[in-house]
Amino acid sequence: MLHKNNIGITGMGIVSAIGNDIETFTHSLQQGIAGIQKTNKNAKPTLAVDIAAEIHDFSFTEQLKNLKNIPEEKVKKAKRLGQRAPFVIQTTILAALQAWAQADLFNNSINPERIGLVVAGQNSTQNYQYKLISEFNENPEYLSPRYALEFLETNQVGVLSELFEISGEGVVVGGASATGNVGVIKGHQLLELGNVDVCLVVGVPADLSPLDIQGFINIGAMGGKTYNEQPSLACRPFDKNHEGFVYGQASTSIVLETQKSSEERSVASFANVIGYGYNLDKNSSANPNLAGEEKAMQQAMQRASIRIAEINYINTHGSSSPLGDQTEAEAIYNVFTDHLANIHLNATKGLTGHCLYTAGMVEVIATVLQMKHGFLHPNMNLEQPIRSDLQFCGNTAKKYAIQTALSNSFGFGGINTSIALKNNN
Amino acid sequence: MSKDEVYHIVQEIIMEILPDVEKENIAIEKQLKDIGANSIDRMEIVTMSMRELNIKIPLMSFARVNNIEGLVDVLHENVNN
Repeated sequence: MLHKNNIGITGMGIVSAIGNDIETFTHSLQQGIAGIQKTNKNAKPTLAVDIAAEIHDFSFTEQLKNLKNIPEEKVKKAKRLGQRAPFVIQTTILAALQAWAQADLFNNSINPERIGLVVAGQNSTQNYQYKLISEFNENPEYLSPRYALEFLETNQVGVLSELFEISGEGVVVGGASATGNVGVIKGHQLLELGNVDVCLVVGVPADLSPLDIQGFINIGAMGGKTYNEQPSLACRPFDKNHEGFVYGQASTSIVLETQKSSEERSVASFANVIGYGYNLDKNSSANPNLAGEEKAMQQAMQRASIRIAEINYINTHGSSSPLGDQTEAEAIYNVFTDHLANIHLNATKGLTGHCLYTAGMVEVIATVLQMKHGFLHPNMNLEQPIRSDLQFCGNTAKKYAIQTALSNSFGFGGINTSIALKNNN
Repeated sequence: MSKDEVYHIVQEIIMEILPDVEKENIAIEKQLKDIGANSIDRMEIVTMSMRELNIKIPLMSFARVNNIEGLVDVLHENVNN
């Protein structure tokens, strides 16, 4: 049975380069604080690009201690599950605890079988494995037996379901740079199908190994060509001098919940996920596809049963990739031609870097926070826009009331997604 | 290396793997599962102890171990060989 247009966001959490909780992240969006910096200079091998928006000075135990409104026994359990876990799992535990607390699920009486878990992430053990290789070559005997659990992507499902006592459906989904949106869409579908009433969607940060970074450099996708020594200028979505994406890290979580469930629990929903578009443009390569991007936005609005004129904000995929930005700008122009005067745009990646597998979720969260607090975050380094007929936010934040929004994410392999969100304030 | 020194190292590793176990609750005659170690925790305590003590022996060597003292004994027998 399908439940249309009544699925809300009741909790959110984030661990990122520009904030390890929703409050700090919001402040960074408002103030235009970007997280892109030089990475560790001593890292071997030396790569041509060494800038990124990494999660800095991360300490799992310290951050766990600082989280608010988490019951003592959950902190203990999280510590047990996370203290020796790989970095990415530590960050997802922290982001998920934040969202669970915000959605008031620690005090819930929801049947655990009615709660689902979608882990949006792929290739999350790349750097974990890379770091183990040299010792493994010397002493294979000493490999931790836990490795057999930890190299499986589904370890995230096991850890998070044990921590939160989730016993509905659990799955890992991937969609390259659109993985975050794919996660939200798949969570939404579980609710639409009536399989669960609450779904925790968790985004696993990209922890790229030097191999992966070199691969992105060699395929020509990564920025930092002329701006490697000026990291704050390197990510410039929709600017004429854009030159590729700058890698970022973020762990994210969103609690999706049916209106019936949140009303019964008297929990506020910040925004509704009212529709989504998701299509493939039949392409095994990296190039974007104009028709696929247009279709994703149209599908999202159709599924939401809204008119084009109702959209007044788009959180763009805007990765600072020349062909990507140009294609998306053209797709937006083509879809919204007569309504461009109503629509404001920005690109969160200018602040967070391109968080790859969690970018979609970072941007859904950024969209909801801008809705909630009535502003648009700046579009970093946009000095000479590639088009003059689209309304990009400038270099500083501005007051703005977002009513209904789209959040776009596109990925290698011909994956096109867009999510429609409605403000509940 | 004395058996006591080996035990001390094993104790430290147990506390690292089981962060909520207090030192005074670890006693040499206890079984690891009694202080909350699941099967993977127990295997990890073994491999980490081997690494710390620079011991390379087949994991089968620990098959008959049934408490912390048994583990310490096998490690101690092999530590300086």
